[in-house]
Amino acid sequence: MAEAQQILRDPALFYWILLPITVVMVLTGILRHYLSTLLQSAPKRQPLAKLREQRSLLRSANLRTNYAQISASAFQKRREWLIENARDGKFLADPDARGKGKPNPMSDPAMMEGMMGMMKGNVAMMVPQSLIMGWINAFFSGYVIMKLPFPLTPQFKQMLQAGVGTRDLDVRWVSSLSWYFLTLFGLQPVYNFILGSNNAANQVTQQMAQSQMGANPMGGAEDPEKLFNAEAENLEVIEHYYILDGVEDRLLERFQGAI
Amino acid sequence: MLDERELATRPIVQDSVQHNARTVSNIRALTASLFGVAAGTLGLESIPGFIFYALGTAVVSVLIFAFKAESEPKAYFYRPMADLWAGDMFGGLMSFVLTWTLFYNLAKA
Amino acid sequence: MANPLLEAPSKSSPETAIDLSQQASTFITSQSSWLSAIPYPLSLFINTESQEKWQTYENLFLACLRTGDDNTAYACLESLTDRFGKGNDRVVALQGLYKEATAKNESELAEVLREYEEMLKSDPTIFSIRKRRAAVLRSMGKTSDAVTALTNLLDQSPTDAEAWSELGDLYLTQGSYDQAIFSFEEVLLIMPYSWNMQARLGEVLYLASGRTEGGDQMKILSESMRRFCRSLELCDDYLRGHYGLKLVTTRLLEVLSTSKKPQQSSSDPVRGDLAPPSVDAVKKLNELATSKLAEIVRRSNSGEKGWDGYSAAEIIAARELLDRDTQKIER
Repeated sequence: MAEAQQILRDPALFYWILLPITVVMVLTGILRHYLSTLLQSAPKRQPLAKLREQRSLLRSANLRTNYAQISASAFQKRREWLIENARDGKFLADPDARGKGKPNPMSDPAMMEGMMGMMKGNVAMMVPQSLIMGWINAFFSGYVIMKLPFPLTPQFKQMLQAGVGTRDLDVRWVSSLSWYFLTLFGLQPVYNFILGSNNAANQVTQQMAQSQMGANPMGGAEDPEKLFNAEAENLEVIEHYYILDGVEDRLLERFQGAI
Repeated sequence: MLDERELATRPIVQDSVQHNARTVSNIRALTASLFGVAAGTLGLESIPGFIFYALGTAVVSVLIFAFKAESEPKAYFYRPMADLWAGDMFGGLMSFVLTWTLFYNLAKA
Repeated sequence: MANPLLEAPSKSSPETAIDLSQQASTFITSQSSWLSAIPYPLSLFINTESQEKWQTYENLFLACLRTGDDNTAYACLESLTDRFGKGNDRVVALQGLYKEATAKNESELAEVLREYEEMLKSDPTIFSIRKRRAAVLRSMGKTSDAVTALTNLLDQSPTDAEAWSELGDLYLTQGSYDQAIFSFEEVLLIMPYSWNMQARLGEVLYLASGRTEGGDQMKILSESMRRFCRSLELCDDYLRGHYGLKLVTTRLLEVLSTSKKPQQSSSDPVRGDLAPPSVDAVKKLNELATSKLAEIVRRSNSGEKGWDGYSAAEIIAARELLDRDTQKIER
């Protein structure tokens, strides 16, 4: 292959292509963020019994994690009380529904809300991306626009030199679609600056979060009775240690120099 | 991971960890785009360009270490090797490539 | 020092409250600058709201109520209602708080209480109003009613640390130390790293020890001492922690030296209680607490940077405690 392939380009290319695409990308990102914030539905109020059930579950979880804060006798008392009530089902929202098994995710309205929310979020991501890609292909295809400063393998030619007819062109010359991809990934930090770090235009972290959550959303609500039984079992096996045990020695050690 | 008891006696505050990580991330992204501008206007090509980025990031890391973390990375970061020195490389790299490409083309034409 | 406008109002001293309420009117006018009056399309780009803006409003509101500046308080309340709507839980609670604070006599307070009950009849999940109801009952002097209200609340929502600590306080005023200890332990289960709660529990235990004798007293005193140690482990310069530690160790030294029964030198495996600490350790802790208190008093009085976070009342109390010692030596 020849050494550096040189192509003379019209400087007007930049003002009419690079900049507009960049501006559009930034604006769509901001638009996406505001759209998803507006589309979020307010959290629904839950009935008192359900609240009680949830929070009792949380209380038992707290006891399980933080048992070291209280003395052994205090822990013992609480443990017995919680286990007894959990087994008896005193915390359940709907004591008559015991033993009926998991609620079907399709029929439980609360789950539907959760799934709809997620789908809305996904749609808000996908639609603008496909729209922009279509727009770029329609208006900006058929020519190379710039030269990448670094080389890539020839496999990328297919993607990055989408509409160009020649075959021998160096991979470094790319079409506007590749600029789209570059900005797609590279504007994350810019969004972080403008919108604060909690923004909805953060594509990479969203995809990672989705892949981690993958199994759960279709699992549906757990049967509360089973949850309580599981908690009771976990509580039974705990070996208590008291964080106040030896704390004075630890403290003295830390403040050695100050005395 | 730290022993569970050690964690109970010297807890790690989630908020602070996130705040520190966010600060480092912001600094890296900002400096990375500036380095991209520099590399582009200098007309650096492939390998020299990346070496420039690596050098620049190392310098920035040293500065973070000296000024922000006051030479005591263990107090600010749970795993200083991973967080301070090599933190958030990917985001920084993308900003770098973006601005590098942009300015390379502006300068070359 | 953190911006006093952002700090929780219960932490700020009365002087800070006066300061804040005086700044209030300037703050409110500064918020309505020309920037926020820009018409709709452009205002999307300019974000005049920050994270802390509304927290500041709420704290200002509370500070103004504390100093009696009801008009400014009402203005703050109006802005909050405009922004968040009348139906928002927190706003409703703040409105109730305003009515309580401006109530002139018992019957007006009773009126407020009745309003709360109405609201709760239609929707019993508004926890902020339930808490306000308990607060009104307490300020009306109906302590046992307040206790009942809080216990019901906690049955429904056992993870509410604020409610548990209020309940603990109520029990303390009634003198039921055991229940108070239980409530504060619950708070610790929810927020294990809150050093102020550890110190509070230490204080309650110290108070409870005054009622007991002999071996039991030793046990409670040593547990109290350990609670203070834990709070210091979590926060080096906590003045109340050092204060409490000094008090307890002084008392413990007296008890240890006067106790005639042989010490229980190992932990009781059945009940899982801890052995009382060694005299040596107690002495050292006493010295540590004294020296730390002296350092805090000295540095805070000289106005050194980083040492000015203590309130004046705390420093005075610390100095008084230290002076008690020197008086004893002089005699």
